Amino acid sequence: MSAERYNRQIILKGFGEEAQQKLLRAKVLVIGAGGLGCPALQYLAAAGIGHIGIVDDDTISLSNLHRQILFTTADIGKLKAEVAGKRLQEMNPQIGIIRHPIRLQKNNILDILSRYDYILDGTDNFESRYLVNDACSLLNKPLIFAAVSSFEGQLAVFNAPDHSTLAPGTNYRDLFPEAPDKGEIPNCAENGVIGVLPGILGTMAAAETIKLITKIGQPLTNKILNYNLLTQEQYIINISHGNGYTLPKTVDDFLNMDYQDTSEAPQGYIEIDASELVKLQQLESTILIDVRERHEVPVLDKQIYTQVPMSEFAAFLNKDFYQKQVVLICQHGIRSVAAAEAMQEKYGDAKKIYSLKGGIVKWRDYFLKS
Amino acid sequence: MEIEIISFGQITEFINNQKIEVDGITDTDAFKQYLEDRFPALKGLKYKLALNKNIVQQNTEITNQATIAIMPPFSGG
Repeated sequence: MSAERYNRQIILKGFGEEAQQKLLRAKVLVIGAGGLGCPALQYLAAAGIGHIGIVDDDTISLSNLHRQILFTTADIGKLKAEVAGKRLQEMNPQIGIIRHPIRLQKNNILDILSRYDYILDGTDNFESRYLVNDACSLLNKPLIFAAVSSFEGQLAVFNAPDHSTLAPGTNYRDLFPEAPDKGEIPNCAENGVIGVLPGILGTMAAAETIKLITKIGQPLTNKILNYNLLTQEQYIINISHGNGYTLPKTVDDFLNMDYQDTSEAPQGYIEIDASELVKLQQLESTILIDVRERHEVPVLDKQIYTQVPMSEFAAFLNKDFYQKQVVLICQHGIRSVAAAEAMQEKYGDAKKIYSLKGGIVKWRDYFLKS
Repeated sequence: MEIEIISFGQITEFINNQKIEVDGITDTDAFKQYLEDRFPALKGLKYKLALNKNIVQQNTEITNQATIAIMPPFSGG
């Protein structure tokens, strides 16, 4: 290890060579190399964490670049885990970077998490959040949790005993025992996010990770910090153990949990691509429904696409319409899935329900020329 | 009795931070019912209350000048 590289933190009072050695021996897994994961990875690699794993099965797109600052325009289309791994290795050739360009699911997550000491959750959906929380709980791994919504963020350390009282760690289900329904909480793709916000939260998550490893300060164990970018206010809430939820106690319990893995076939409705949309559109008995709110762009031709914003969707479900095929469309294919589930529940086999996978953003060229 | 309300995330869209004067509300269960009656949009959402910065896990007594935070889950990254 080159002491010079880390000199400025080694000379810190209360840090020193000993803390640096702890970082070097630590194995940290960062799940999601996105808006939270990119800055977290940069600081963890720069600080000299000895082994860093990166999990992400996604590829880089143009709309990622305003917040996912490890990537350049030339990286578009490449795997995030690969590009992030290469860049971090260039930043710090003295540490080990392990790339996992896969999607974590029930059948692979325990194997991967068990190779690391600390898990940093920078994912972007509730299915992954609960999957990671429960896997960490089962394996007894400290979990550093960061999440954002619009101009606010949440930061917590789960599953780690309290530094001073040694009280056992709480977990995400002590706050929110069950995941919200799809569409209940808007995500970044639908709601937008200012790039610097996950930058701040991801950096704070890296700081918590370093504090846990080196045992300095008071990490946010059994606490959740709410951060507001617009006011720079922080509000810390103490978490106590809740009840009325089930954490898997054994691997078998875990494998029987329902995390709505995307690998599991959706029920009833079908996700389609633009070419299938074209075919369905030619049938007279097909209705194309745009479920985005009225202010969203690009605006689609109202002659072809009936607009029923999600905020008005429940009322629409009470109306009758003759078309037998229903194609639901939104910006990224997330809200349209929620709409498809609601329609499927109402109509069952009486209508055929489709959702455009990837939404207008993915098939932009098709929508712009039509 | 005076209660200060602090809200987070999309809940701020319909419940502003405010001090309210309420009568006859002495515990968190009753306060939750009051909130959901006054702000029906809250009913369909997952959220957690914190009384004086402590997460509410069971019905807890509220005293004058309490602060109650209303926190929804975030998943974005």
